[in-house]
This record gives sequence, structure tokens and C-alpha cells, in this order.
Amino acid sequence: MSKPEKLIVDGKRLDGRGPFDMRPIKFTAGVLKRADGSCYLEFGGNKVMAAVYGPREVHPRHMQNASRAIVRYRYNMASFSVEERKRPGPDRRSIEISKVSREALEGVVMEELYPRSAIDVFVEILQADAGSRVAGINAASVALADAGIPMKCLVSAVAVGKIDGEVVLDLNKDEDNYGSADLPIAMNQFGEITLCQMDGHLTEEEFGRALDMAVDGCKKIHELQKQALIEKYGQDITPDVAQPIEGGETNE
Amino acid sequence: MAEDKIVIPGDMVGTSEEFLPGRGTYEENGNIYANTTGRVAIDKRERAVYIEPVTKTPPTPKEGDIVVGRVTDIKGSVALVELSRIKGSLDREIAGNTSAAIHISNVKDSYVQDLQQEFGYQDIVKARIIDTKNMRLTTVDKNLGVITSHCSRCRSPLVYENGKLKCQQCERRESRKVSSDYGKGVI
Repeated sequence: MSKPEKLIVDGKRLDGRGPFDMRPIKFTAGVLKRADGSCYLEFGGNKVMAAVYGPREVHPRHMQNASRAIVRYRYNMASFSVEERKRPGPDRRSIEISKVSREALEGVVMEELYPRSAIDVFVEILQADAGSRVAGINAASVALADAGIPMKCLVSAVAVGKIDGEVVLDLNKDEDNYGSADLPIAMNQFGEITLCQMDGHLTEEEFGRALDMAVDGCKKIHELQKQALIEKYGQDITPDVAQPIEGGETNE
Repeated sequence: MAEDKIVIPGDMVGTSEEFLPGRGTYEENGNIYANTTGRVAIDKRERAVYIEPVTKTPPTPKEGDIVVGRVTDIKGSVALVELSRIKGSLDREIAGNTSAAIHISNVKDSYVQDLQQEFGYQDIVKARIIDTKNMRLTTVDKNLGVITSHCSRCRSPLVYENGKLKCQQCERRESRKVSSDYGKGVI
């Protein structure tokens, strides 16, 4: 798409959203059989798969910490995730995103419970559409909970940006490409911000407003994350109670 | 907080004045929060609130658990075992300490003269945990003991025949504290 004349027409954005609207979000927890925990997330045009393994043995050994678990996070974009084929493998951008995303989650994982072990988080971006790092963090957070890893709380993330001089929530691809600022924010439910990056420019007043919008957005996402987990595990228990276990011991 | 309600990490389940923080919870600023996804339960006697997890949780060895592991060293009176899995969660790696030991007195009911006669290097054993602090194991039971082993001369798998372990390659016979499940591949 070439640069449009205007990104906001009559108070509506190009995809019909208002400034405070997020794109449609759908979480599905526990989708991968072999992973200890997993989550598939559709966040607007983003399609993200997160898988969690561990706590498990650390290899190479020198990376292990005698007093706590280490969290390893891999953000990876599939070569087909963007319009122009992306050269596969880690690059400068994805290494950076892996680092900041790991730091966004490290704060809530109760690492001290599993010394000398590693918790591996893999995030695959299957389709990218602006805000894939926040989508990755949202999915990873649900996947960690799905793996049953003790956490202080979930982490929710959303991006705020500036287009046509206006601060709007959750940029899409065109808004990201032609807008003038992008501010991804991750926070936990206690209001602690664990990721805050910015590209472009915002005035101090705009930044304050953007942060408030991000906080509201994160609250909405947190609600969706909660629903996804309850949906997956809420009903799983009920049929068990209804059926009495027949016969004697079952051998695995 | 209602009992049986499903909570996710970070949900408040009570205050420190009401309850002690039990399993699956943590305490912060006088409040008790869940740290796992599960159902709220209250231990009335202990006055503790805990979470009954609904997700699979990282397997941690408990007293009485049946485990499988590999013999990594045989000393004079102990065999060292590197634990691999806990029975009941075979698809997930053990979270935490995986080095354990079987003392010569916990091998079998009868007298053991020489530990080399009961275990071989790199044998796969099935054992029960009797102490998680020092990770001590026991194989005193019919179905506990070595479940896979190799010939000490030619390293080919030993086969259980008429109460003895025999090497198919070199006809060598070896003795072990075998489990009743030897060579069956069941745990």
C-alpha cells in the first residue's frame, strides 16, 4: 500500500476503528500436545504461536544459576510472515525483541522456585501485522500459565501510536508504517510496566495520554487472557466429577 | 473468596489476616494471591488457603513417587542415579534436582555383599523415593529394580531368561536386582 492521504477520516481510522479501539483478539490456550504449555493468539492480523518448555535442565551448563531458574525467550518470525520473504533466522531486530520480551516476563515468573533449571519460551510469528512483539508477550504469558509455572500474575501488552497527530491505540500495519510514533507497553495487573519502547516522537503530554490508553488496553487484554485460561480449564474438571471411576487400578 | 472458584495467577484469594498462604499462592503486602491456575480450596484446620491446580504442573519428586533413572556411578555402598521421569508425568522433564542415590541397604530385602552384583553402570532403574532431602531411593519391591541393562563386556542388551540376565552376543551371564518389569518397557 502506498502512503494514504490521511490515516484518520471523520474520526475513524482506515479499518473503521475509533482511536480507543483494539483489533479483534482471540486467545486459545493449550494447543500444542508436546509442549508443556502453549497458546495460539490472533491479534488483528498477527498470528502468533507460543510454546513453553520446562523448568528443565540447562544446556549449556555454564548458563545455569544455582539460586534461580533462567528464562530463555526466542522471538522468531517465519519467513512467510511478511509480504516480502524474510530471511530466516535470528537477526538484529529479533534478538532485541527476544531480550526485551524476556525481561518483560522475567519479573512475574517465580524463578527462585526452580534453581538450576531453564524455562524456555518460544514465540513464532506466523503472520505479522504490526505489534507482533506485544502479541508475542501476550501469548507467551498465557502459555506460561498453561504450563503451570508459578507466576505472580500475567503480563499484558499493547502498543499505542500517533497517526495524523492523534494518539491511537493498537496500530495496524499501515498506521505503523506511515504513522509518526509507536509505543509498545507491557505491564502486569498491579500496574508495573515491564516493557516500554518507543520509536518516533511524542510530546510529554502525548506520552502521558498514550500511557493511559495503553493501561486501559492492557486491562482489556488481561480480561481476555483470563477468559482463555478459564475456558480451557473451567469445564475440563466438571465431567470428571460426574463419572465415577469404574473398576480397579488403571495401569498407565 | 469463594471456594472452588477458578483463579489465574495474580487473582487475590484472601488476606493475611484470614489465611496462611498455602500451596499455589504467595503473599504480598498483606494480601494472598494465586500463582497458578486452579480452584481455590481452604484447609479449615490449618486456616490456609491453597490452589488445587487445573493445569499440568512441573513434576517435582515427592516421597513415595516411583521414578526412573540411569545409574551414573557405583561406589562401595551407594549407587548414584540420574533421575529422568516420575511415574504419572512421563511426558515432562523433572523440575529440580535430578541426582539421587540408592544405598546398599535399600537395594533388596536380603543381604547385599557387593553392589556391583546388583547394578551395572548405565543401567536403567525403577525406584521409589524414600527421602527428598537427600534424594534417597529404594528398590526393595518386586517391581522395582533394573529394567534395562547392557553386557559389561560387549555392551549389547541383556535378556532376562529363566531368572538370569544373559548376553545374546557373548553368552555372558550377569546378575542384577531386576524388576519384574525387566525388558517390558513399562513403568
